[in-house]
Amino acid sequence: METNGSGASPIDEHLRAELRAIVGENAIVQRTSELKVYECDGWTIEKSRPDLLVMPRTTAEVSAVLKALHKRKIAFVPRGAGTGLSGGALPIQAPVMICTSRMNRILAIDLANRRVEVESGVVNLHVSNAVKADGYFYAPDPSSQMACTIGGNIAENSGGPHTLKYGVTTNHVLAVELVLPDGGIVELGGPVEDRWGYDLVGALIGAEGTAGIVTRATLKLLREPEARQTLLAIFPDVESATRAVSATIAAGIIPGAIEMMDRLIIRAVEAAFHIGLPDDAEAVLIIELDGLAAGMDERLVRVCELVRGCGAREIRIARDEAERANIWQGRKRAFGAVGRLAPNYATQDGVVPRTRLPQILRAIAAIAEHYRLRIGNVFHAGDGNIHPIVLYDERDPDEVRRAIEAGRDILKACVQLGGSLSGEHGIGAEKIQEMPLLFSPDDLMVMTELRRVFDPDGRSNPNKIIPTPGACVEVTTPHRQAAL
Amino acid sequence: MQAEHETERHPALRAATELSAIIGADRLRTPEGREALAADLIVEPRNADELSKIVFKCEVDGITLAPLGGARTLAEIRRTHVTLGVSLARMSRIVDYEPEDMTVTAEAGITLGALNQALAANRQHLPLDPPDPSSVTIGALIGASKAGPLRLTEGGVRDLMIGVRFVGHGGRIVRGGGRVVKNVTGYDLMKVMSGSFGTLGVVIEATFKVRPMPERYTIAMLSCRDPATAFEAAARIHDALPLIHLEVASPGIAQNLGVARDRFGVIVGFCGNRAEIDYQSDKIRALAGDAEVEVVRLASALRLYQRLRDFTLPVPGISARIATLPASLHRSLQDCAAEFCAHAGCGVAELFMPGELAADEAAKLVARWREVAAVARGHLRLLSAPPAIRGGLDFFGAPGDGVLALSRRLKAAFDPVGIFNPGCFIGGI
Ligand SMILES: Cc1cc2nc3c(=O)[nH]c(=O)nc-3n(C[C@H](O)[C@H](O)[C@H](O)COP(=O)(O)OP(=O)(O)OC[C@H]3O[C@@H](n4cnc5c(N)ncnc54)[C@H](O)[C@@H]3O)c2cc1C
Ligand SMILES: Cc1cc2nc3c(=O)[nH]c(=O)nc-3n(C[C@H](O)[C@H](O)[C@H](O)COP(=O)(O)OP(=O)(O)OC[C@H]3O[C@@H](n4cnc5c(N)ncnc54)[C@H](O)[C@@H]3O)c2cc1C
Repeated sequence: METNGSGASPIDEHLRAELRAIVGENAIVQRTSELKVYECDGWTIEKSRPDLLVMPRTTAEVSAVLKALHKRKIAFVPRGAGTGLSGGALPIQAPVMICTSRMNRILAIDLANRRVEVESGVVNLHVSNAVKADGYFYAPDPSSQMACTIGGNIAENSGGPHTLKYGVTTNHVLAVELVLPDGGIVELGGPVEDRWGYDLVGALIGAEGTAGIVTRATLKLLREPEARQTLLAIFPDVESATRAVSATIAAGIIPGAIEMMDRLIIRAVEAAFHIGLPDDAEAVLIIELDGLAAGMDERLVRVCELVRGCGAREIRIARDEAERANIWQGRKRAFGAVGRLAPNYATQDGVVPRTRLPQILRAIAAIAEHYRLRIGNVFHAGDGNIHPIVLYDERDPDEVRRAIEAGRDILKACVQLGGSLSGEHGIGAEKIQEMPLLFSPDDLMVMTELRRVFDPDGRSNPNKIIPTPGACVEVTTPHRQAAL
Repeated sequence: MQAEHETERHPALRAATELSAIIGADRLRTPEGREALAADLIVEPRNADELSKIVFKCEVDGITLAPLGGARTLAEIRRTHVTLGVSLARMSRIVDYEPEDMTVTAEAGITLGALNQALAANRQHLPLDPPDPSSVTIGALIGASKAGPLRLTEGGVRDLMIGVRFVGHGGRIVRGGGRVVKNVTGYDLMKVMSGSFGTLGVVIEATFKVRPMPERYTIAMLSCRDPATAFEAAARIHDALPLIHLEVASPGIAQNLGVARDRFGVIVGFCGNRAEIDYQSDKIRALAGDAEVEVVRLASALRLYQRLRDFTLPVPGISARIATLPASLHRSLQDCAAEFCAHAGCGVAELFMPGELAADEAAKLVARWREVAAVARGHLRLLSAPPAIRGGLDFFGAPGDGVLALSRRLKAAFDPVGIFNPGCFIGGI
């Protein structure tokens, strides 16, 4: 079977020997059966296997590997944990995959300065776990935080439920060590707050692996809030739930998180975890307030008033940590619960201005009906960042086609409502064709020029983010390797 | 012919003649005030298309240009004039403001003061607070990445700007980001443009996240005998409470602000509902050690905040901004031996050295400050210096070789001909 959409592999015995000498035999995977694990990330509609996988342990090894590839003009794709949802780590005409999973050390914790320095393969949750006992946390908390890596977070500029109040990855990264595609090592930014010269760290974050391989990062830590209150509000319809989101924020209250689940998700979560969600609820909101203990009750009462005023028919307030965990479990494991409803699902990631949530949810319902698909919604409502989950069965090619088209229609609707294609999952391979909906050829050209500052030959994760004439393949049915 | 001879000698005259033909003579004027320190001729385009034509023309003819707001920063950093100063005074509309979405899009010529005035109707603001907001344009705010006390919790321009439009090389009108608060669609051109000091293009429009105005804004002022007591108290308070700003001021500045006399001042800003204000006020008193504490509220707090935000050296002298690891700031400021106003929680401080220094003394002083910053793994940027000695001072310093090489490539990619505010940024970019 042909891999990687390309012809004969450019990887010869010389290169294999050189790479073995750099990273050692056991840090290279080349057997087809073992490479199967790496043929896709969380965007499973498209699959493509790398010819070779390298798992370096140090910056020096990454640099040596990239030099070896640079000499031969071979393209590569960086990979963290492969939890990405837009096909970012999918190799497309990139024969070599470089995985950071062995670069997983926390290098330094500096609580006095609220900084932590990590290798890029460190798992997101491990950062917060390492400082939790001292009352600190690392704010960006993607729902995949048990698995995803800081390197992947930097590449995607990941967010999470609590980024409504605290900001996304780019607001919390001060410095990165980057290995450029030619193997050169450069330290961008520094441990201090003010940026010196151009904000190259900012330019790199969200570049989706197209600027080389991040090997280390200096992150900011935040103090754990003194108190939290988590509530679950149950609504008879989606509109009133979205009104409650706007009303809360308009009152000048910025909760730690506001998450929403619609009926399909509520039922799936209930079936899987039995957390006591009513079967006939059309929407629930999870609202988490955090801050000082002193003013919490007053604020909670205010939020309950607002939410009830918007039509919530029931509000449940977590009385202790166990109840709080129970509420969050429903949200954080919603994807898993949905996994029981259909063999496959694709998660979209459009964004709309918060006040357009009712319109976009109506549009999604209409699209689901039009394509005869089931679509559930579980998302970061406070940010207007939707996550429609499109259920399908990959054994049914027509359903796969409809799922892809429905996803595109949803993104078009987001753009029409003044929104955007992706709030946190990135463009990757998935949404590359939609970029012209939002950006002019000049915009895309300037972005390409920016990318070339880091990667002049376009060898770091090629064929991502910006559509290039000729290189792109129209995705109407699963291609490259059929997902069979 | 005489006239032709004149235009040959004066690129500004030639540019004026040719630009008049393209966009009309009424768009051009002579520089006023500080502008005269930076540019030979001022152009005031009315819209993106006019600016696009101007930039296209400049690139073809190799005419240098620099966007300017109040020309404050530009006057400090430029050693030679650019031919054309681009003022966006006629591009100063609020394009779109959705209070419920808490986003605002404005043309870059509007001042921060005017923008915040409009947002105040909904008890919202753009929490970026350099001195004298009524004379800082959004363009200058972005270009120089200006910030003030509120940076502790709100971050800087880079953290609040979610969309940008600029006119880049070839006259291309380029857009990045959008109007939604969370967005990873395409490369982050907002970060590229913020703090780029006009070297990559002319920002014409930006979209920001805005914030609710703080509730029951309150300030606690501590007056402390020595800097160690002041910084230690600040650190204890920062550790215990979610503040909105936290400053430590040296005696000269504390006195000027009316916070303390012959003592170091700690200025702690916080907000919240009634219970939170009471709790925080008590907590600050408890954590203040033996420092005297005075709490001021609402209108008095706002007046003090405005003095703090607007403070600039009232006499000739040098001012600079140092950034270090927060825990090292106290030590670094001691080593710098200057008056200071420190944003203590962020590890950033403004340094002030009043007095008429000779050029070589000033250069030595700045070099010493830079060494201090480097020891604390940070850096230092000059903010202002008297005209007589500016010429000999390096305002930005130069970061390491790797960063400089990438920075040069970025500059070359965005400005291949080198017309945008050339020669005065890091490493002479
Ligand atoms: C169940 C589930 C829930 C999720 N929830 C969220 C959420 O709430 N918020 C959110 O933002 N995302 C979420 N995601 C998406 C995903 O987890 C994030 O995008 C994450 O940051 C990817 O990290 P990773 O280590 O798995 O990266 P990968 O998937 O391996 O790679 C992602 C991209 O990063 C690049 N990359 C990886 N490491 C490096 C490196 N060291 N240097 C340069 N480039 C690199 C890759 O080339 C690729 O383009 C979710 C995913 C799943 C499966
Ligand atoms: C911590 C904090 C708490 C606050 N609490 C409150 C509060 O409780 N209640 C409240 O009402 N506000 C509050 N504010 C808002 C604050 O008072 C406003 O931001 C106000 O704009 C600051 O006014 P200023 O006098 O400092 O003027 P500046 O900050 O200098 O800016 C406003 C200036 O802009 C000028 N201006 C107006 N229109 C234009 C124009 N078209 N072009 C050029 N200039 C123009 C005005 O003349 C005015 O001088 C708070 C702000 C902060 C930072």
